[in-house]
Amino acid sequence: MTRHHPDSLTLMEYSAGNLSEPHALCIRLHLDKCPHCRSQVDTLDSLGAVMMEQQPKVSVSGSMFDDILARIDSSPEPKPRSKAHPKTDLLKKLLGQDINNLPWKRQLGDVSVLDITGKFPGQNEQVVLQKLVAGGKAPAHTHRGTETTIVLQGTFSDQNGVFNQWDFVVLTEQDEHKPLALGSEDCITLSVLSAPIKLTGTFTRLLNPFIR
Amino acid sequence: MSNVTNISHATVKERPVTTLDQQPARAEGRKDPWSQLLVKVGKSQDRQAYHSLFEHFAPQLKYYAMANGMASHADELVQEVFVSIWRRACLYDWQKAAASTWIFTIARNQRIDMLRKMRRTSVEMPVETEDLWQIPGEDDNQPITSLHRLMSERRVRESLSQLPEDQITVIAKVYMEQKSHQMVANELNIPLGTVKSRVRLALSKLKVILQDQNV
Repeated sequence: MTRHHPDSLTLMEYSAGNLSEPHALCIRLHLDKCPHCRSQVDTLDSLGAVMMEQQPKVSVSGSMFDDILARIDSSPEPKPRSKAHPKTDLLKKLLGQDINNLPWKRQLGDVSVLDITGKFPGQNEQVVLQKLVAGGKAPAHTHRGTETTIVLQGTFSDQNGVFNQWDFVVLTEQDEHKPLALGSEDCITLSVLSAPIKLTGTFTRLLNPFIR
Repeated sequence: MSNVTNISHATVKERPVTTLDQQPARAEGRKDPWSQLLVKVGKSQDRQAYHSLFEHFAPQLKYYAMANGMASHADELVQEVFVSIWRRACLYDWQKAAASTWIFTIARNQRIDMLRKMRRTSVEMPVETEDLWQIPGEDDNQPITSLHRLMSERRVRESLSQLPEDQITVIAKVYMEQKSHQMVANELNIPLGTVKSRVRLALSKLKVILQDQNV
């Protein structure tokens, strides 16, 4: 049962399409299992539609519709995936295998990590998987910048509470915590670390839409 | 209303949940003319209906593309969205979303996809845009969720008109100009906290925040 949710403002940035890919992945994984947040995003998508409707309109050239029809007629219609498209396992697609069989790198004591930043070319954040063995403790630590985490497997607890599978946690530099893996399963999390890099120029937004 | 019988037919497959609110909400979905047109495109490749959708939505989409900095690719985005609408219309389910919401999500996803492709290096993208922004389909036995979607569309339109201008401005910048809350704060020269509280006020009036479960 998911009890820790993304903030509504973050869901809004997701709905507006303003989040970086790694952050969008965290939200998407959470939404997959959380009807509560999914219904918020539905409403936010409606908000996007109504905003679009109430903004100015820009006329399009008269020939554009014909161009579109020509495109539709010239390319054979690829059958869209059927209505009941099977739920693809997004994590497996991303990682190539089950999260338990990854080439984990033992870090400190009970903690192993795997840096998967390379899976997100062109993004400006560090993306890491972390594993805390069942019953294990991580040393007390703080975070650099803002760390957004989603629990992929198992349960951990710290002074802020108990975090189960698909729970969503955001920690800042001020938060020191000492996680403990509860239960009989290794606890695996996905974290996105936003280094507060300031960029200037036209492509700032493209490179790092999550600067806060 | 003559389509009441259609409505009860349409709900036969689902759990027979009947509440007082339900029928007006479903009827509302039926009444929305754009959703009706989109259903026609999906069911019978109706080009007349498709053209009507184009006339209504293309100018909105073109503004959307221009507002978020894709001016030189605005026509391309409008075209991509409309080709997508044609190809996916058969998947459209009016009970799950109004046409305008469905089209907004296609436009958002196409915009993200175009930007990703523009900045793509030789490296393949292991995760597709759709993987990150396409909300998983609901199970068909969840009429409550469908109901919620229809209600939300109508409610948002009604209550948006009652929001103060400063809240609408902030939301417009986030949705239309793709600005983060921090960028909006910088542009309007107001503290980030003010931007966030305006958004929160707006979202609670729009009932997006049903109950604040976040600390």
